[in-house]
Amino acid sequence: MALAFFSDEWIARYKEAINGSPEYVSAAADWTHGVVALICKAQAPAVPQDVGIWLDLDRGVCREAKSVNVEEAMKAPFCITGEYARWKQVLRKELDPIKGMLQGKLKLKGDLPTIVREVRSAQALVNSAASLDTLFLDE
Amino acid sequence: MGYSSDLSFLFLAPTRIVFGAGSARDVGVELAGLGRDHALVVTDRYLAEKTGIVNGIVRALGTRCAGVYSDVPADSGVHVVNEAAAYGRSRGADSIVSVGGGSVIDTAKGVAILLTEGGALQDYQGFQLLTRDQTPHICVPTTAGTGSEVTYVAVIKDHEARRKLLFADYHIIPDVAILDPVLTVGLPPSLTAATGLDALSHGMEAVTSAQREPISDALGLHAIRLIREHLPVALRDGADIVARGQMLVAATLGGAAFSNAQVGLMHAIAHVVGARHAVHHGLANAILMPYVVRFNNDVVADRHRLIAEAFGVEVRGLSDEASGLALAHALVDFQHRLGIPTSLREVGVPESDLAACAEAALSDGSIVYNAKPVTEQAEILAVLKAAWQGAS
Repeated sequence: MALAFFSDEWIARYKEAINGSPEYVSAAADWTHGVVALICKAQAPAVPQDVGIWLDLDRGVCREAKSVNVEEAMKAPFCITGEYARWKQVLRKELDPIKGMLQGKLKLKGDLPTIVREVRSAQALVNSAASLDTLFLDE
Repeated sequence: MGYSSDLSFLFLAPTRIVFGAGSARDVGVELAGLGRDHALVVTDRYLAEKTGIVNGIVRALGTRCAGVYSDVPADSGVHVVNEAAAYGRSRGADSIVSVGGGSVIDTAKGVAILLTEGGALQDYQGFQLLTRDQTPHICVPTTAGTGSEVTYVAVIKDHEARRKLLFADYHIIPDVAILDPVLTVGLPPSLTAATGLDALSHGMEAVTSAQREPISDALGLHAIRLIREHLPVALRDGADIVARGQMLVAATLGGAAFSNAQVGLMHAIAHVVGARHAVHHGLANAILMPYVVRFNNDVVADRHRLIAEAFGVEVRGLSDEASGLALAHALVDFQHRLGIPTSLREVGVPESDLAACAEAALSDGSIVYNAKPVTEQAEILAVLKAAWQGAS
């Protein structure tokens, strides 16, 4: 069953997908830089208000994934913000998240060189998200 | 030309270009066109004290000149930007005119941020963090290479950390670039060569970039044609206004190309060896060129063929792969003809530091756009070792 984009159910399934991904476990084995938060800007009707996801990542494991508000998300050492349309492109693998950050399509708060070193981890995270059956409420 | 059906790109080149011998005299008119009347001139001490260039700009600005900051060093730093911005603020500057090479223009981009946003430059390191227009900025380049007059990037060194910080944002693209070939006539041969080869590296890496697209291809390939024809002439006769002018155009074309398509492994390594061992950026790129071409050749040989053709290499009857290798040879020959160093050991990079350079290059933003994905330090180290040895 398709799950609504960035809903609690979708986030829980996303955590399972990350932890079930051999690609992610391998690529992110050295990740010790802490939480990565994602913020999707509001776009009614699909996303009525700004929403954040908190991903506690450590050495190839997603220890926690939860929905948070923007203020909390901004406290993460790495916070990636994008418009709803951009996140759709990421999930459909039409936009590479790291290139998106460099082009300003996604905004990164955090140390860019650290993220640049993690190209494969980022791709694995995207692949995990893309593997989910996602319902986009504006479609 | 190798574009895929899912090609999508964003191209931005908003800078107004003013070209011509003597066009620097238009700086006051251009400033007025921006609706500003109190410009801080940012430049270096050599240009201010040993040439008449800065005096000419100040005269052309007249009462629109708020003051001159002339302490930008060859390898500018964060502290210089902070100091220049404080001076500009104290003079009530509402705009900037940068007169100089890449270091001066990049410093002025940093000053443009601070005059609008306040704070310290380090607060704005990163990509696309700004949300509004910055202080209006007119560039008057006195070298032909960086293309910084049209790019969204400023590279400024953190001298304490021995690393180059990247500031990349569409809001720091200069408003106006005045390309006056008369101002580059006094550039010494070594700098003419190094900066010209920097422009060549921009054209080449834009054409091979993972983000390549047809508009940047057109700009990059024409930059390569112009450099091949006019750089040797500018070196032979520094007073040749045609050659000097076309090199300025080539640098601007290369800048617009890479500001959109981006650069790759060559620049990732050049940024590191420049920061760690003070190798001139253009020279570092030049030395690395043949080796990066070889590294990428199995992925973008068709692109190397286009570059080879633009560079005047005879590739009829050759496969794409052979064209790429012929390009690598032609680049080395070109460098020999220009009389520049062709190995990293000749420019003082110690062999013992190559591994550390390779490790650091992995974290450079440019590497994301390299034609061939690079994720292992060993891959970069192999390129560095070959470039250190030289004699490709």
